[in-house]
Amino acid sequence: MKYRLFGIGFILVVLAWMTLDGLVEGDWGRLEGGLSNLLVFFEESMWPPDWSVLEARSYPVCDQDIELLCSVGYLGMMETLKIAFVSTIIGFFGALSLSSLAARNLMPLYISLPVRIFLSAVRSLPSLIWAILFVIVIGFGPLSGVLAMTFYTVGYLGKLQYEVFEGMPNDPLEAGRAMGLGRSSILLNIVIPENGNHLLSQLMFMFEYNVRHGTVIGIVGAGGIGYYISTYLKFLQYDKVLALLLLIFVVVVLIDLLSLGVRSFVNEEGDVRKPTWLSMVLQARKRKSSFGEDA
Amino acid sequence: MRDSPVLSLNNLVIGYDAPLAKPITLDVHKGEIIAVLGPSGVGKTTLIRTIAGLVRPVDGSFDLRVKPRGGLGYIPQRLGLVRHATVAHNVSLGARLSVDWSRSMFRERKERTFEAIRALDMEKKASEPVRRLSGGQQRRVATARTLAQRPQLMLADEFLGELDQKNVDTVLGAVQQLVENGTAIIMVEHHEDNARDFATRIWEIQDEHFIDLSIEEWLHQQSKGEEE
Repeated sequence: MKYRLFGIGFILVVLAWMTLDGLVEGDWGRLEGGLSNLLVFFEESMWPPDWSVLEARSYPVCDQDIELLCSVGYLGMMETLKIAFVSTIIGFFGALSLSSLAARNLMPLYISLPVRIFLSAVRSLPSLIWAILFVIVIGFGPLSGVLAMTFYTVGYLGKLQYEVFEGMPNDPLEAGRAMGLGRSSILLNIVIPENGNHLLSQLMFMFEYNVRHGTVIGIVGAGGIGYYISTYLKFLQYDKVLALLLLIFVVVVLIDLLSLGVRSFVNEEGDVRKPTWLSMVLQARKRKSSFGEDA
Repeated sequence: MRDSPVLSLNNLVIGYDAPLAKPITLDVHKGEIIAVLGPSGVGKTTLIRTIAGLVRPVDGSFDLRVKPRGGLGYIPQRLGLVRHATVAHNVSLGARLSVDWSRSMFRERKERTFEAIRALDMEKKASEPVRRLSGGQQRRVATARTLAQRPQLMLADEFLGELDQKNVDTVLGAVQQLVENGTAIIMVEHHEDNARDFATRIWEIQDEHFIDLSIEEWLHQQSKGEEE
């Protein structure tokens, strides 16, 4: 079995290599000097990062006590976070209403199939294309970003949600149906509580995803830190671009840690919670006193 | 004269595509406790699931004369509990169906929920998620849910399995409350002792034949069999 899996893995790698060779039409010469070019570009244009992006902008005049609050980095990042937050929340509830219609174990085929097709259609457009469409329709700014991210969230989260619903055990649904609970009651009282852990985990993942992609959609003018990145790119200020990229990296890591913390409270077993320092100290004391009793 | 039946089976043929037993015709009245007996795989669960509306009959039909909302209580083999929700939430699903829309609806629901939890001796576990409970405790939660629902007909599939005698007594005590209020019960049972102590009627499925006996007739048959 182990050898068979190894064999399949090897075949897949060879197949991928052959496909790549076909794509570059055997012209591997282009890669020559690529690394040295990258190093030159990095050393001459990007390094060191220009941290002036965290200083107050010259215009409009800063009326805050802390200079950072008027900086391009802070304002851009906050706008990206706000866009991601709003679109994740609205998208989550939009997705929830559609995914409950798309799940095969909750709805008949004549309802679930069209909803699935709709979700696939929404998902097939990446958030960047949605952003371009909304920038064309309603103009530059964060509203286009929010709409773009919301649509993408509905499509993406909708699929994740209906797959979770379809994977749930059938017996609570059957019991609810036999007892006479209506569809909405089954959804609210059986399906959502039973899958609450997964839904919360997906919500956190989507927020993190939307923050990362919020930077990309800003490049096409849909607001957020990406707007500033695109401006600096146009003026060849790569050191400022690097500073903003590092800022995004730090924020994404922080969100990842936050999401890890939230998800550790809602894992499948649920009982195994991350110990707090306080509980560890208390337990150590308790253990000590019980040893004392034994003695 | 007897009241009109809550359930009538009219030449009902149960099974998944192929019939599992010969056609069944009989009535179930208020307050009756029917134990369905027979070896594994003869169609006991299929019969319960057919009456619950989860499996289509191969042939024939059945009339269920209960309220469409909450008139039928159902405890499947795997209990059908919301594992990640609390005991109180699960029991309240039953109460939700037994309390009609009114201004005091929420208070009544809560009262009925905790009444059922108390009857099953689960007060201390009311706010625990069901997944943390033992198999026996989960069976008590499923019974509490039906108790709070107050159905006209209760279907239970091996709901006394895994329970020790003390728990069997607690659960049967709670179910007795339902019976006193007129609920008819059809329960699939593996333990003949439970059927003997509790049922008023026995349905036995054996070699595709369906036998309907009163408890007296069944006990007589059992004692005859032992003598032989």
